[in-house]
Amino acid sequence: MEDVIRGFGLLLEFQNIALIFGGVLVGVLVGALPGLSSPMAIALLMPFTISLDPVASISMMAALYCAGTFGGSITAILINAPGAPPAVATALDGYQMAKNGEPGRALGLAAMASVIGGIIAIIIFLFATPLLAEIALKFGPVEYFGLSCFALSMLAAMSGKSSIRNLIAGTMGVLVSTIGVHLATGVERFDFGVEELTEGIKFVPVLIGLFAMSELLTQSKTLNAAVERMSAKALRLPTWAELKSLKGTILRSSGLGTFIGILPAEGSTVAAMMGYNEAKRWSKTPEKFGTGHAEGIVGPEAANNAAAGGAMVPTLALGIPGSGTTALILAALVMHGFRPGPYLITETPHLVYAIFGAMLFANFAFMGIGLAGARFFSYVTFIPKKFLWPSVFVFSLIGSYAYSSAIFDVWVMLISGIIGYFALRNGFSPAPFVMGLILGKMVEETFTQSMVIYDSQFLNFFESGVFIFFMILTVISLSTPFWGKIKQAISGKKSESVF
Amino acid sequence: MSNEKKSIDFAPRTLGAGLVHKKDLILALLLIAFGSFMYYEAGKFPEAPLVLGDTLNAEVFPRMLVVLLIFLVAIVPFEFKITPEKIDKIDKDRGDETPLITWITIGVLLTIVALAEFLGSFLTMFVICLTIPLLWGEKRYVAVAIYAIIFPVCVYLLFNKVLGLYFNPGLLEMFK
Repeated sequence: MEDVIRGFGLLLEFQNIALIFGGVLVGVLVGALPGLSSPMAIALLMPFTISLDPVASISMMAALYCAGTFGGSITAILINAPGAPPAVATALDGYQMAKNGEPGRALGLAAMASVIGGIIAIIIFLFATPLLAEIALKFGPVEYFGLSCFALSMLAAMSGKSSIRNLIAGTMGVLVSTIGVHLATGVERFDFGVEELTEGIKFVPVLIGLFAMSELLTQSKTLNAAVERMSAKALRLPTWAELKSLKGTILRSSGLGTFIGILPAEGSTVAAMMGYNEAKRWSKTPEKFGTGHAEGIVGPEAANNAAAGGAMVPTLALGIPGSGTTALILAALVMHGFRPGPYLITETPHLVYAIFGAMLFANFAFMGIGLAGARFFSYVTFIPKKFLWPSVFVFSLIGSYAYSSAIFDVWVMLISGIIGYFALRNGFSPAPFVMGLILGKMVEETFTQSMVIYDSQFLNFFESGVFIFFMILTVISLSTPFWGKIKQAISGKKSESVF
Repeated sequence: MSNEKKSIDFAPRTLGAGLVHKKDLILALLLIAFGSFMYYEAGKFPEAPLVLGDTLNAEVFPRMLVVLLIFLVAIVPFEFKITPEKIDKIDKDRGDETPLITWITIGVLLTIVALAEFLGSFLTMFVICLTIPLLWGEKRYVAVAIYAIIFPVCVYLLFNKVLGLYFNPGLLEMFK
């Protein structure tokens, strides 16, 4: 209880409130702007938080994450251009409702569902994080190795264009993490005589490059794309009766979203899609979906915001990112000298509760911001790309340089961006690579330690029941993308593909 | 719906009696070449002291990863047979050639970063804010000029004066 009070107490300081509110504002803004995203904003902000109070910095990022998930729905509803991937499902009915002359109602439903979903997930987060951390404290290296293998295997099921490509990107990320001095032997690996590489590739420039620069290059193709905007004077919150009629959908989606968020690697996008599908499946009027149906808005919105809260659970309790954005928050924790994983809650419990408080605050703040500024945020889409993206480049440049005042990091940022752009064109998403890069050190360390413990006999790892459990989960998650095909094959229906 | 999916025509994009996807084959070969290079490089790492045993050698883990990478990459040229609808989406994205403007943008960005240390932080920001909008076809020259001055000044004030970030003066030092 003392830690809860201390954590919340930290948030009451003026500077911290201002930072969290700033995080919410930036989150809604980047969420609303197509092309900009909360991972990108976190990557860009990260180097500038070095000199700030670590708890306030991490809380600001958590608030930004929550708000960014909601922000995407504003443009999804008003211009049918989801500002962020989790809002894609919201656009299906949200834009239709706006077209039917009720943009304010659509925004109100999205905001209310987001808040409820977010709060439910945060409450679960408050109880689940210490519990999970307690279990994880009993893990040894072999169990942790199993867990990180499971987390990486979840990349196969992660939203993206291709499961195989997600796994390749994840493996590449782990491979890149091996650059630099090998801790066990002191051998310098893959430095090619470049002094800066002996310290390894720093997270921050790579993250900025992958999320900001690759998007800048993508945007250079669509400079003159016109958008049609619905005018929304204000956000209209749903009535009590309307909310009551939608409570089943909201609660179901919130639970589903939290669960999906807790799964390593899965994030808000998958949650939103599943939230939409489940809302339709349980609906008494599924035929109305796609025509501006309220359930089609609250289903994905409750789920995607709940997933944001859920994703913080494995990130803080296990040190395993629950989504692409939480992978960045994990990197920020490391950058600020925290030890993500079960020791985080035993060594710095106030931080976990401060994050909890910041996310709770963010959920109410973005509704307030949405109520007051829906009109403004729909206008931000009019910021010309020809001015917006050079500004992003300036921030990328300063951000990557500020991290260690080295021009080498700027080159790393730019090269990562260029590689990221071509990788994106070929179906590789940046999030799996980032997950691999961040988890890489843990995978190698736990593997090495396990080999020492088990006298270099890999098969002896299976003496651990927990390891076997994670290996079973790994096999299940690797096969998840093909379940549909297997089901098709079993039911005897002809599949259009060979598999 | 299923008929629509069946209508995906991969013929012009495939090789070897429609068994291998052309672009993905090139992609896979590039990645395999990269993997092989990394595998070879890993072989040059010095041996760990005998007391640590074979499995703790610095090359063991990277080599395991490269093997896994090559195994996964080997599936890529045939992926269109496993999940045709997904590869169709990827093909749509990469169907067009990379536009000239993107190549020029890459060139300009590389040049700006190469000159960044010489120019210094403020002038680099100014050059970015001036050249990129013009390169991307912005015709409101006054707006570009205002943006190119106001934005770097705001960034400088915020990061240098408020947050205390060091800005390399570069070329501007000559005018001090």
